Amino acid sequence: MQIPVELFGIPRARAGVAQTAAVGSNLGDVLADLARKFPPLAETCIDGRSLRPGFIVNLCAERFVTSPETPLSEGDTVLLLSLDAGG
Amino acid sequence: MSHRVPGYHGSYLRIDLTTGSSKRIVLDESLLRRSLGGSGLGVDILLREGAAEVDSLSDGAVLAFVFSPLVGSPLTTSAKFAVVSKSPLTQRINDSLASSGFALAGKKTGHDAIVLRGKAKQPSILVIDDDVVTVEPAGELWGLTNRAAEDRLRQRIGADYQVATIGPAGERLVRFATISHDGRHAGRGGSGAVLGAKNIKAIAVRGSQRVEWAHSKDLVELAKRLSEKSFGPATAKYRELGTATNLLAFNRLNVLPTRNFQQGNFAGAAAISPEQLSVARERTRSSCAACTIGCEHLYGLRNGEGKVRLEYENLFALGPLCAIDDPETVLSACQLCDELGLDTISAGGTIAFAMECAERGYIDEPWLRFGDGAALMRALELIVNGQGIGRLMAEGSRRMALEIGRDSIAFAPQVKGLEIPGYDPRGLQTMALGFAVGTRGADHNRSGAYEVDFSEAVDRRNAGPECVPLAIETENKAALMDSLILCKFLRGVFSDFYAEAAEMLRLVTGWDITADELRATAARIVTAKKRFNILAGWTPAEDTLPDRILHEALPEDARAQLSPERLATLVHAYNCARGWTADGYLVNEIE
Repeated sequence: MQIPVELFGIPRARAGVAQTAAVGSNLGDVLADLARKFPPLAETCIDGRSLRPGFIVNLCAERFVTSPETPLSEGDTVLLLSLDAGG
Repeated sequence: MSHRVPGYHGSYLRIDLTTGSSKRIVLDESLLRRSLGGSGLGVDILLREGAAEVDSLSDGAVLAFVFSPLVGSPLTTSAKFAVVSKSPLTQRINDSLASSGFALAGKKTGHDAIVLRGKAKQPSILVIDDDVVTVEPAGELWGLTNRAAEDRLRQRIGADYQVATIGPAGERLVRFATISHDGRHAGRGGSGAVLGAKNIKAIAVRGSQRVEWAHSKDLVELAKRLSEKSFGPATAKYRELGTATNLLAFNRLNVLPTRNFQQGNFAGAAAISPEQLSVARERTRSSCAACTIGCEHLYGLRNGEGKVRLEYENLFALGPLCAIDDPETVLSACQLCDELGLDTISAGGTIAFAMECAERGYIDEPWLRFGDGAALMRALELIVNGQGIGRLMAEGSRRMALEIGRDSIAFAPQVKGLEIPGYDPRGLQTMALGFAVGTRGADHNRSGAYEVDFSEAVDRRNAGPECVPLAIETENKAALMDSLILCKFLRGVFSDFYAEAAEMLRLVTGWDITADELRATAARIVTAKKRFNILAGWTPAEDTLPDRILHEALPEDARAQLSPERLATLVHAYNCARGWTADGYLVNEIE
């Protein structure tokens, strides 16, 4: 399943794109696919199938998730962003 | 002679500007250990000086520049000072922080704080050279912008002085005027107006008195490790992109306050985003003294007239909040606020409120329209020169609403009079609680509760009682960081903040202090601020949010609703968890 992915902040800077798509039926699969496509993400934001500290995923601008086992459905969008929101 | 605690001078300098006299006031060790420095010590000094019951702009008002035990140490980001007073905007406690050389030089005058009372007879500058205090006529400095005044004064008295100034906004008692040093601002709550009311344009400090560190060698080693960690991924966002990069993420989550909180999404966000600005203009980085993070990102103006520090808060307030999508206008407005000495959040919030009033026909100012960059720039000038509608806007959105009447107070974007920063409380409801109970009003630097909303711990659009202890924890942590003082951008590098902070304090002061003691100290500092507010006239009715936030859903996100009943439940739970009455009064006197 192709999942649309939007990147913000450091993830966007590392990947060099604002939007992409990744394959997977859960968050871990999608993160692993992203790391394969964009190796700089693996150095900073993604560790295998998990997020590195300091990063978080939001699904569809609704809820924040971190567990690699989080199931994804058709129509979901993954937002990958820095955890530190402040400023 | 009393024992002097390493890291401290053990006293503050009280200066009476009416007479020009000064006096050294001893601070005993138990008070220092309970309040630490910065905001915590400042609040206790203000309570001791009886500042809560006095009008913030009167001769009797008290303004304290407060340093900390860590200032001057090799610990990264520790070159900070707090400015603590009663706020002319809220008439409640106000502690605003700034950085760099003024903190280092101020502490070297031989005092842990410099406390001003009274009023100079004429526009003046205050010069503190170790223990020698002089009040001199400001002369040609009066009327100058911050940068010009700072440069001119150092030319006059010597480049080895560090200088804090007010801009024209502070001179004219704009209630959200800042105090500036080296381009940075003690920004929120109007401390610049307090200094202006005392007829003080600038304070210059120079000193030769150093403090000892209890365990110097170990402190240097710890500082090295902390600096190394500060180069890591936890601070990459600040270092590489700056806080302004929040803009697009917040916009996507529909929590970017737009058009005076009428929307949570701004169609023009991409055009003013740092990602776009970086492509189109020169960008440079800078940092405060003794900082290894370097969060400041400066963008060049097209007209060649300098570079502008851009952060999320000034970007949101002078951009989406006023529906401005022209980057040159936003940058120019930021620069103008810096020069005039205006808090950008309150300036943007008040102008956005005025724009909505004009749109509704509540004020006869047809030129003042959302999205009009020229109107934004004109409004900023009017606020400072006090002409036309500027006279009202200089009072902040709450006072302006009370004068305009009708139902305008419902959409004045403020809590306790302090304009709300760039986090829509409907979509970030732990932050909503933090804003409502904040002792200095709606404030993202005194409550970091947005961090909770950006996690799995709560449903950010339907927060329940589970958010209360988490909101308290962020508020306590902020109080401790503001009292140590350390930059909050460092917070991500600590794996056990209280334990690591305790170790820093042990190495600096020699105190055998524990993480648990620091937790209690942080909570005590929050309670001391509450104590100040109660003495200043606080009532439980203040701990709420504007009617707009409590009665209107975000148009882009129907689920983002926070009812007054649910907020009240959260506030009561917060008060009880603090050990106060359910209404928020203190059960016991603070120690």
